[in-house]
Amino acid sequence: MERIEHTTISTNGINMHVTSIGTGPVILFLHGFPDLWYSWRHQLLSFAALGYRAIAPDLRGYGDSDAPPSPESYTILHIVGDLVGLLDSLGVDRVFLVGHDWGAIVAWWLCMIRPDRVKALVNTSVVFNPRNPSVKPVDKFRALFGDDYYVCRFQEAGEIEEDFAQVDTKKLITRFFVSRNPRPPCIPKSVGFRGLPDPPSLPAWLTEQDVSFYGDKFSQKGFTGGLNYYRAMNLSWELTAPWAGLQIKVPVKFIVGDLDITYNIPGTKEYLHGGGLKKHVPFLQEVVVMEGVGHFLQQEKPDEVTDHIYGFFEKFKTRETSSL
Amino acid sequence: MEGIDHKMVSVNGITMHIAEKGPIDGPVVLLLHGFPDLWYTWRHQITGLSSLGYRAVAPDLRGYGDSDSPKSFSEYTCLNVVGDLVALLDSVAGDQEKVFLVGHDWGAIIGWFLCLFRPEKIKGFVCLSVPYKPRNPNVKPIQGFKAVFGENYYICRFQEAGKIEEEIARADPRRFLRNIFTGRTLGPSILPKNDPFGENPKPNYENIELPKWFSKEDLDFYASKFDKTGFTGALNYYRAMDLNWELTAPWTGAKIQVPVKFMTGDFDMVYTTPGIKEYVHGGGFAAAVPNLQEIVVIEDAGHFVNQEKPQEVTAHINDFFTKLQNNNKSF
Repeated sequence: MERIEHTTISTNGINMHVTSIGTGPVILFLHGFPDLWYSWRHQLLSFAALGYRAIAPDLRGYGDSDAPPSPESYTILHIVGDLVGLLDSLGVDRVFLVGHDWGAIVAWWLCMIRPDRVKALVNTSVVFNPRNPSVKPVDKFRALFGDDYYVCRFQEAGEIEEDFAQVDTKKLITRFFVSRNPRPPCIPKSVGFRGLPDPPSLPAWLTEQDVSFYGDKFSQKGFTGGLNYYRAMNLSWELTAPWAGLQIKVPVKFIVGDLDITYNIPGTKEYLHGGGLKKHVPFLQEVVVMEGVGHFLQQEKPDEVTDHIYGFFEKFKTRETSSL
Repeated sequence: MEGIDHKMVSVNGITMHIAEKGPIDGPVVLLLHGFPDLWYTWRHQITGLSSLGYRAVAPDLRGYGDSDSPKSFSEYTCLNVVGDLVALLDSVAGDQEKVFLVGHDWGAIIGWFLCLFRPEKIKGFVCLSVPYKPRNPNVKPIQGFKAVFGENYYICRFQEAGKIEEEIARADPRRFLRNIFTGRTLGPSILPKNDPFGENPKPNYENIELPKWFSKEDLDFYASKFDKTGFTGALNYYRAMDLNWELTAPWTGAKIQVPVKFMTGDFDMVYTTPGIKEYVHGGGFAAAVPNLQEIVVIEDAGHFVNQEKPQEVTAHINDFFTKLQNNNKSF
């Protein structure tokens, strides 16, 4: 881990903390909520050993990167803008891309609006959901799952932060990470995250050291930056009208754990296996469902996930891409 | 103006008025007006192009004429407006995968963004007056204009909500419109605070003849539409420029890949703004638009070249689109 380099890059008006290691074709790893570059600690080391240059930033709002205060600074256009700026500053024309959770959503959109900057994508956990012209996303979730659905509970500025503050940060992180309940998470206000049962003992893949790392970073930073992604969902929807109906034209491999809440959202399995995703992502080449694996697949089964990513990107490696 | 169909179309959360003429299966030409203009600017091109077999579609953009005018300036980013146009194309040209595009003034800017966001939808773009410059990540637009042209540069003067509307009202909107359409003042357009529209001394407009290409009926049409809507919707495009810059970070330095023909009148205040001629002819423009195929400077024409030299402009548009059509039989 000591070989991982830490730098700060100025991009799109923010300072972004970026970790990197290795030489070779560049892979950009995008974490989700509530996560950090650290989610990819295993992949960073593995891919450096496999002849790639692995890059994992703290996205805007997280960790050691800047966190502008207003939700309006967290539209998908802002985040993709940060990453295009990052690629420009690294001198990378076209990148291999890996996304997880919110990082997967960002990855879908980077491929949608700047397909010329992406060679291939391995995306995990969150499928691409085409924009519905008549319903905003948060409104859709509210209608489907009710006001207690976590996306709805995250909307009001400051409200869920107050709930979070009543829980030890390490305990909160652990709850998010080790949950194996595949049902849509609904947390009534009367219960809150503070009222959830203590998490069971840590699984093998998440050490005390890992939890302390996350706990420290989120205690320092707070959760508002990460929550602002949810708070900007409806605004992002408004602003992405130009791409209504457009397919994502990048080669894609998709991986998800069968215990992941995203995989268990009603309709998702049929959408994924029945041709729905393929209709919107015509170059979707492989779909992998990992048995007995939860949401944080890259941490839970790091070697398997690394193998899946490696196998896919190796297909696209050419002599030209073997340099930075 | 007979034979022009007027429709109201539901697009992207607004109702949009469009003027349409031409055979239903003719290749669609989407015509985008600028500031402070309307579908009406294209009246000659609509007639000309439709008689040549194209289906001309000219909307009132959001904020203008008979289309909706959302309240907040933040709803006038290019993302909102291009969203309208993509939905419009789906609605009225759903069977045509690609269309021809013509844009003037703000319509040219919107056209550039349509080419950036949905290049696969555009066969070719005839751009009037406003060349494309890739986004500069280090300078916000309004700050940039102020630094180069001063705080009385018209774009800077348009920023404060309600202010210029007040000045236009005092000067009389009809006079304001007439000045804009028929004026030949070279760029950069500066609006001094004490005398924004050159009213000192106040010319007696009743004695000054309108040019041949802009009749009293034309001025009446514009005046009546803007009397109804006011100018705020139109001004909101300028007020959203900084926000637009923020939101288009993903396209920093991006090039336009669509085939382009650029046209301008030699007296256009944009073309005659210091720096623009060098940019257009000196290689900067071509570097940003690698498929820039033709640059045409029309002599003795101002900003509204499509109204001032309508037959020439229509012929140029048709020449370009015919050339593209012949080069690419897959259309």
